Amino acid sequence: MKNNAIPRRGARASDASERAFPRLMIAPTLLVMAALTAYPLIYTFIYSFTDYQYLKGTAAAQNIGLKNYTTLLQNGYFRQAMVNTVKFTLLAVLLEMSIGLLIAVFIKSLKRGQKLMRTLLLLPYLLPTVTVALSWRMMLSSNYGIVNQILESMHLPVYNWFMDIKTAFGTVLLIDVWQNVPFVFLLLYASLQGVSMNQYEAAKIDGANVVQQFWHITIPNIKNGIALCALLRTIDTFRLFEKVNILTGGGPAGTTTTITQFLYNYGIKNLKFGFGSAGAIVMTLLVLILSSFYIRRAIH
Amino acid sequence: MKKLLALTLALMLALTMVGALADAPTKLTLILRGGTYGDVIRACLPAFEAEHNVTCEVLDLSFDELHSKIALNAPNPQGEYDLCMVDGSWMAEFTANHVLANLSEMGYSFDEDIIPATTAICKVGDDIYLAPYFGNVTVMLYNKALIEAAGYKPEDIDTFADLKDIAEKTNAAGKMGFLIRGGSGDNIVSDFIPHLLVHGGWVVDENNQPTVNTPEFKAAFENYIELYKLGGTMDKDDIVAAIDNGDAALGQGWPGWYVPSADSNASYVVIPTKLDDADEAKNTSMYGVWTIGVCDNSQNKELALELLKYLMDPEVLLSTVELGGVPCRYSCLQNADVLAAKPHLAIVCSALETGVYRPVIEQWSEFTNTLGMEMDAVIQGVKSMDQGLADAQAALEMLMM
Repeated sequence: MKNNAIPRRGARASDASERAFPRLMIAPTLLVMAALTAYPLIYTFIYSFTDYQYLKGTAAAQNIGLKNYTTLLQNGYFRQAMVNTVKFTLLAVLLEMSIGLLIAVFIKSLKRGQKLMRTLLLLPYLLPTVTVALSWRMMLSSNYGIVNQILESMHLPVYNWFMDIKTAFGTVLLIDVWQNVPFVFLLLYASLQGVSMNQYEAAKIDGANVVQQFWHITIPNIKNGIALCALLRTIDTFRLFEKVNILTGGGPAGTTTTITQFLYNYGIKNLKFGFGSAGAIVMTLLVLILSSFYIRRAIH
Repeated sequence: MKKLLALTLALMLALTMVGALADAPTKLTLILRGGTYGDVIRACLPAFEAEHNVTCEVLDLSFDELHSKIALNAPNPQGEYDLCMVDGSWMAEFTANHVLANLSEMGYSFDEDIIPATTAICKVGDDIYLAPYFGNVTVMLYNKALIEAAGYKPEDIDTFADLKDIAEKTNAAGKMGFLIRGGSGDNIVSDFIPHLLVHGGWVVDENNQPTVNTPEFKAAFENYIELYKLGGTMDKDDIVAAIDNGDAALGQGWPGWYVPSADSNASYVVIPTKLDDADEAKNTSMYGVWTIGVCDNSQNKELALELLKYLMDPEVLLSTVELGGVPCRYSCLQNADVLAAKPHLAIVCSALETGVYRPVIEQWSEFTNTLGMEMDAVIQGVKSMDQGLADAQAALEMLMM
């Protein structure tokens, strides 16, 4: 009896080592994550309550409480940047998801040339963002751009695309959608490969048309892929910076300023890292709120 | 015998290695503004490298990148860069934070050949921190055919009333009269400053407090918007292209943007100094002189200073003119051979003698950003003039507190 009630010392040691082994195995990963993610995040959070200016050094940084946050939220251009970013993210993700899904379904339905189309469609996504921005800037130049020349030859009105308050936002949006649709296409195309053809055949026998098949078979089968893709695109679009910085610099009149562009102009460029950190924290919270729906969806 | 041979060989090898190390060239890292500004320096380096047994690594960067990289390198005890190119508007920020070496303490001084007004930004008190290298100063770009069609010769354009007259006539003929620069806040403010100066205004008072909601500023801004309505807003490349290809008559620019020749469609004149014929002449050209200095944390300060002296040498600077360089030296800009080939440099020389520097304040980057955003909102019609200037004044007062 006594032997059954109290485990032997050897067995206890074995249990402990079994429990310790997995912890030991994930320890390096946890350490790397702590060093690369948690440490900078914590420091960003701490600096957001200071007036840290890089050239003055951390020793000169003073705790100023919530001043960075209040200054930020009271700034009309920051509020405009928040609205622009949310509007841009919602529109870009919606357009990219819709167009990417349609292309994926279309390519999947092709009997021939799937490989060629896949390769051609991916090209915009393979280009560096800076190259994309500069190419579009040349094409849309109001002087020598091919787009205005074509419009002119067709006697259509021409625009100063990046400097006109009416066109700048839409133009940047169009370029972003053009570059990122292939990413959505690729992810959803991969998801579509897992949908069993038997379901479509059964639906056909039951008399379902193409739209019904798409709505009741395709969408439910790839909904996790759609949620993941939307999450990734939301996070990425929310951080939009290079295109705006190169193409418009946030203008005209702040109509294309995004949060990252604002933080660069008012925080990073002036080396006011305390102020920039506060903006980064606000932005992180916004991304979390905006993507929480997708995260919940992806987890479930 | 074998041991002796091995020892001899080892000794020879060691001596060769020591010799090689002793002869290894020193590496200097130059961090420069990309484009013509940095290209002319790069072209001068081979002779210096050969003479001093030095290899030079050159980093060509954009305006913002250059500022960030110099600043980010500054707090390091052992800096990565030796010689840096600095925009005059960064001077206050950099000297206040010990980014630049005191050249006077290292034995450098200006000679009388350097245009005196261009050195004003290079000193704190009597101490020299920078040397004026590339004479960038705002000039008025024009299309030769379009101003002729408006009934003007370049030398006749001497008032802002002339600019407006040309712009109106060109606009009436279906072309763009006057182009203003859009994009970042700094671009907008820099483009506007000559208009403010001719109206007798300035962006700060003698105590560096903002003065952007004043009658002078408002009058200048109203005239600026009138000119904008006769043309449009563009970025730098489009302004140059539009004036060169005859789509626009006038626009402000910098000598580094465009190198005119006798056959070119465009050229430039000094920015007019008067509002109209009845007005008194004022200094209206704004400096954007690119200066060079030695990083305070350079590992090769003496050698970097040698390089700076070499680059500022009159003969070396004269050789850069052919490549598009604009030295801040009389001996280069008034040289008969140079003027025969590049007559526009006489105009640049005049502008350099009378130019105005941007305010020497640490917060200048943020100042222009804030002011430029508000001005852009007014130009685009998002805010009224009164609202935009009141908002700018309030935001700038907060900044300068």
